[in-house]
Amino acid sequence: MNRFVTIFRKEFTDTIRDRRTLVVMVVFPLVLVPLLMTVVTNMQMSSMKKAEEKVLRVALVPNGNAPGLVAMLTARSDLRLVTDIPPDSVQAFLGSDSVDAAVVIDTGFDAAVSRMASGTVRLFYRSSDDYDMVKRRLTGIIGEFEKQIVAGRFAALHVDARIVNPVVVEEHDVASMKERIGKTVGGMVPYLFVIFCFMGSMYPAIDLAAGEKERGTMETLLTAPVSWFLFLLGKFAVVVLTGILSACVSILGVLVALRRISKMPPELMNAVMAILDVQTVLLVLSLLLPLAVFFAAFLLSISMFAKSYKEAQSMISPLTIVVILPVLMGLFPGIALDPVTALIPVLNVSLATKEIIAGTIQTGLLLEVYGSLVVLAGLALFGCARWFEREGTIFRGV
Amino acid sequence: MIVVDHVAKTFPVSRQQRREMGPGFTGSRIDALRGVSFTCNPGRIFTLLGPNGAGKTTMLRMIATMLRPTDGSITVAGFDVVREAVEVRRRIGFLTGNTGLYDRLTPDELIRYYADLYGLEARAFAQRREEIYALLGIGEFAGRRIGKLSSGMKQKVSLARTIIHNPDVVVFDEPTAALDVVTSRAIIQLIRKCRDDRKTVIFSTHRMGEVSLLSDDLAIIHRGTLIFSGTYKDFENQMQTRSVEDEFVRLVEAA
Repeated sequence: MNRFVTIFRKEFTDTIRDRRTLVVMVVFPLVLVPLLMTVVTNMQMSSMKKAEEKVLRVALVPNGNAPGLVAMLTARSDLRLVTDIPPDSVQAFLGSDSVDAAVVIDTGFDAAVSRMASGTVRLFYRSSDDYDMVKRRLTGIIGEFEKQIVAGRFAALHVDARIVNPVVVEEHDVASMKERIGKTVGGMVPYLFVIFCFMGSMYPAIDLAAGEKERGTMETLLTAPVSWFLFLLGKFAVVVLTGILSACVSILGVLVALRRISKMPPELMNAVMAILDVQTVLLVLSLLLPLAVFFAAFLLSISMFAKSYKEAQSMISPLTIVVILPVLMGLFPGIALDPVTALIPVLNVSLATKEIIAGTIQTGLLLEVYGSLVVLAGLALFGCARWFEREGTIFRGV
Repeated sequence: MIVVDHVAKTFPVSRQQRREMGPGFTGSRIDALRGVSFTCNPGRIFTLLGPNGAGKTTMLRMIATMLRPTDGSITVAGFDVVREAVEVRRRIGFLTGNTGLYDRLTPDELIRYYADLYGLEARAFAQRREEIYALLGIGEFAGRRIGKLSSGMKQKVSLARTIIHNPDVVVFDEPTAALDVVTSRAIIQLIRKCRDDRKTVIFSTHRMGEVSLLSDDLAIIHRGTLIFSGTYKDFENQMQTRSVEDEFVRLVEAA
């Protein structure tokens, strides 16, 4: 045990003094993630607000019809109407960006409406504009105008408006705020911590195996009177720890980011904070341990095989994509935690985390996820140990 | 004492290695050593000489328990390198010319680490460290990160690491390769001190000057086979050329 502590202490000291590891493990998740999240969210919110408040330049071709709609549009202070555009030039004006949208009222609009038929209002806009805000704002106004006509028609016919709504659907969403946020935002949490767990393990694994071979320290280390398995275990424990620390720091980074996003609605903020209760956090962290063990064993095996730091890096870096894919799959609608997906590594963590955050995790499936991860981690560690004891692996390129 | 008895070592050759070796190589294995036997005694310096690729490093790695012989046996201080590897490791110090160190640790931390691995008691460690620091002049840079040290300083740290546990057997694999004259001389002095302290010393080298300067016993390996083994005096007595270097070349070419 003492020897293990000695090896672990040395490997950990050596690892945390490595700038690359520190950057990936602490600086990136704790500084860059909150910074990026804050900047991106604030920019998005600000541009959305701008799009909402922007005074729209709208070409209006009334063709002498719908005076009510013309009046409604004219009364709006957030619209600047351009009325001297010939009807056939509307699209050209939109194309040259002279106007943001155009409302063209059909020549027979009033006649159609007066005989209780449908009149046509053509709306020209660019769907590629920010958040489709132009369309939403104008259809809102036209919708109001339509309501007025409908109300007038009902009044003229002496008919109760409820006659056209024989069925009233009363919606009762029994999903709690925790559940709703868990199913949507919850998918992002594993996305962050799985990636950071992998990345946090990556550099220490490369440095402690391929790096040692390249520096020539492995040879002398293996002449010390300690079993090679103990050396492997010491390195392995450090890689697991850095993976877990990195994942925890990334979650902390998200919390810091949430606190910094000043424009987030307080009710949403409170709901997010309520989700992160002790039990939820502990359950999520309990998934992290076997995942980190699996990553560490897998990464150390590859790194041990590589001849040099560079070779290990080029073998391991593309695997980031392999890890991201199952996490992304967890975000797809329709993919849920079931007895089959609970067996697929990484995807099972992603889905189980979503369910844990939503508070809908089933104990049986959670146990299946643990079981699958523990078996996989054990196999990976066993394989890594066997691999480490092979002369051909240790002295490949030495 | 080191006893090497009819040792052979064979390495499997991968498909990639076969490609790298060219169309002339068709086998699936390489015989790095074939039936090599010799004995290194305490209080004597045993030199292992041979051209590049002769099998010197493979032999020293087997003595240091890093590789296992395919055939034959090796005992170090009476312990078998395969069956009693940990006992062997307790008794040896191993140094190579390209020994790496942990750049992010200080000499103090590194030497303490190895002392802990060898299970040195705190008091014995403190005493031993003091002796070695005085011998090699490490004290003045013991607290600096190894990555910031000169190559001479680093080699001194490597030496300290090699002998911190006061091993009975010391294995030096080309210890002066790529070192300047001053540092090489410090190593040569240390090798001599090890002999004076009645340790078993085995070292491999390319430098003929070191052979005549240090050797009590000598073995020459060429293509995995022993082509000379005996005392250095025996070697001198059978020389058919004027210098050690010429004689070495003659033996290798004749083999």
